[in-house]
Amino acid sequence: MPYIRRNVWELGGDWADTILWYARGVAAMKARPLADPTAWRFYGAIHGIDPPLWRQLGYLSSSDKMPDQAAIKRYWKQCQHGSWYFLPWHRGYLLQFEANIRAAVVKLGGPSDWALPYWNYFKPNEFKLPPAFASPNWPDGQGNNPLFVPQRYGPQNNGNVYVPLNKVNLNAMGDPDFTGVASGGSPGFGGVDTGFSHSGQVHGGIETQPHDYVHGLVGGSNPQNPNLPGLMSDPDTAGLDPIFWLHHGNIDRLWQVWCENPPSHVDPKDTKWLNGPASIGERAFSMPQPDGKPWDYTPGEMVDLSKLGYTYDDLSPAKPLVQPAERLQRLGASPAAVEAMKGVAAVPTGKNVELVGASSGPLKIAGSEAATSIQLDAGARNKVSQSLALAAQAAAPAPDRVFLNLENVRGLVDSTALDVYVGLPDGANPADHPELLAGSIALFGVRKASIADEEHAGQGLTLVLEITNIVDALHLGNAFDVSALNVRIVPENPVPEDAQISIGRVSIFRQGS
Amino acid sequence: MTPAARERWQVRLPVLAICAAAWILLVVDPGGAALHSHCAVTMSETAPLSLNALLALNPPALLVAGWILMLAAMMAPLVIAPVRFLHDRSLARRRTRAIALFAAGYGLVWIAAGVVLLPMALAIRLAAPAFAAVVLGFVVAILWQFSPVKQCCLNRCHAHPALAAFGPAADAGAFRFGLTHGFWCAGACWALMLLPMLIARGHLAVMAAVTLWLFTERLDRPSPPRWNWRGPGKAMRIAYAQARMAFQRG
Repeated sequence: MPYIRRNVWELGGDWADTILWYARGVAAMKARPLADPTAWRFYGAIHGIDPPLWRQLGYLSSSDKMPDQAAIKRYWKQCQHGSWYFLPWHRGYLLQFEANIRAAVVKLGGPSDWALPYWNYFKPNEFKLPPAFASPNWPDGQGNNPLFVPQRYGPQNNGNVYVPLNKVNLNAMGDPDFTGVASGGSPGFGGVDTGFSHSGQVHGGIETQPHDYVHGLVGGSNPQNPNLPGLMSDPDTAGLDPIFWLHHGNIDRLWQVWCENPPSHVDPKDTKWLNGPASIGERAFSMPQPDGKPWDYTPGEMVDLSKLGYTYDDLSPAKPLVQPAERLQRLGASPAAVEAMKGVAAVPTGKNVELVGASSGPLKIAGSEAATSIQLDAGARNKVSQSLALAAQAAAPAPDRVFLNLENVRGLVDSTALDVYVGLPDGANPADHPELLAGSIALFGVRKASIADEEHAGQGLTLVLEITNIVDALHLGNAFDVSALNVRIVPENPVPEDAQISIGRVSIFRQGS
Repeated sequence: MTPAARERWQVRLPVLAICAAAWILLVVDPGGAALHSHCAVTMSETAPLSLNALLALNPPALLVAGWILMLAAMMAPLVIAPVRFLHDRSLARRRTRAIALFAAGYGLVWIAAGVVLLPMALAIRLAAPAFAAVVLGFVVAILWQFSPVKQCCLNRCHAHPALAAFGPAADAGAFRFGLTHGFWCAGACWALMLLPMLIARGHLAVMAAVTLWLFTERLDRPSPPRWNWRGPGKAMRIAYAQARMAFQRG
């Protein structure tokens, strides 16, 4: 029988058995010293560790004995971000973490079929942090609940933790391709073809939304010191928060949902992906098992849930924002063409990626709003317009997809969350125009990506948001034939100057035939 | 092939073709201009000559031509990443222009570096016997190879600026990118580039080895600057991993 991961909100109570045993397992792992490969903090450091930040947050002290160098080199600082390895690496990470918790649960007399629950914030009334994680007490009123962490501040940095449903989306579920490009077009559902990538620059679709955003808003920032992140907000501390594992359970579940809906969605077949970075001379993915021995794995070994021995209680399809048939209908295609497209979840993405326009300089983000203007190149813009106009004709190639890029985003605070609007009229209230919201983003990983002598040379993050629907609407309203488009950026919370958030360039790319 | 890999090869192929053409010119040496000998310092291998004799053997025009050819042969593989960046992030109608301006800025810095490196090589050969000059070249190259300053330069070779898309600002940005990239590239490579200039016998083979070395060390990701050995370790690991996989398949 496979282990079944279940929705944390539907277990039958705030402290249902599965949660209670999870808490006991977490407590057991937390009791182990840092140098023990099965310890809570050791597992957190596998995702990432920044010793000064850990000390500042109280997770590392001078009395801690560090693991030996071989263990550090093998296991720590391993998380894969901005990469097509994002999903399979985290699947292996979850599996071994779950095995470690289960071993602790069984040792304490708990059920041998215990499985990690997941947090599906998208379901109605399940957007709030599950209550067992929000209370400092165990269900009997005793303090020291191991699922509670004080450094979890929420969207308003006030300790009220929830996922704002109007800002998260499942658009990535409609991406037809697992992997994409880093040149301005779609990075794909799962991310761009890279080597071992501990802090990559361009995040994949499912990584940007909902993954990054939920990280940033659940973690938030310390209200007394906004540059100090909540645990979930920063990749170097995220694995220390017990809710991390339920969030990633949901992301892992969404990968399986994407794979099954429709069947044309397939994982990469390239040997570089299947065999992982070790096949190109880089670090292997490796996790400590409950007995402390290493378990090496490859992405290819992560694709089949049944072979891995677990499943989810809910793998029902998610409805993405862009439906090909609806889009063709909107663009004026014949009823026959629309009918032919019904049931088709996605059409292939074009191979040509081309810059359509860009802002003239960097944009500093501070306070409660920032704005810039994207100058459009007439020739490239006309290609988009023609592609959209052609969509109404029979046997036309798939209309262009259009992407907004926030390039070279740098700064010090990963919990910074921004709403990005395109084409908002001057003086308009952004909240009145959800149809012009290109996307909501959190800068998960921006601090490390901004360090000149770290893995990505301080280039920061490049965030890619699909604005196909917005451009379609502008085109249909005869409002796309313009020389420039406004971009307005509204932070979730005012951004302090010393967060040093900046965007190198805001640009628009087309991707089509 | 993945979409990203396809895009990488779109740029790699023409750049590597330029590199190959430069190497063919160096090896075939059409017209007998012996260009390759002028990117080193042509001189007696047994005894130092006078400055006048050296200049007679190495006229400045030929030195510059040889230097540019050598740049195309040795440096082309190193600019694949920035050229790809310019290609991807420029308007389609401006891609060629942006890459040309980048190349101009980059080449200008390396020509300036040549103005320093060539006389330096001449001076070393005048002051020391051939063998001593080669030993000195190796010592300098190895010291620089270990130094944190080299790592600092290498790290900055991986950085790409946000580019303006339109008008003179786009042209200036591409040219400036060439200058800055050239500056850090020269900082990372100058000591290894000096080495073949001090070796007359087997000069082309040394150039080829240095080219390969420079390319492979660039495969490593940026890291904090410290005294540390840098070399083709990652390339060797890749080759080993691929060979092992091929063996397992076979």
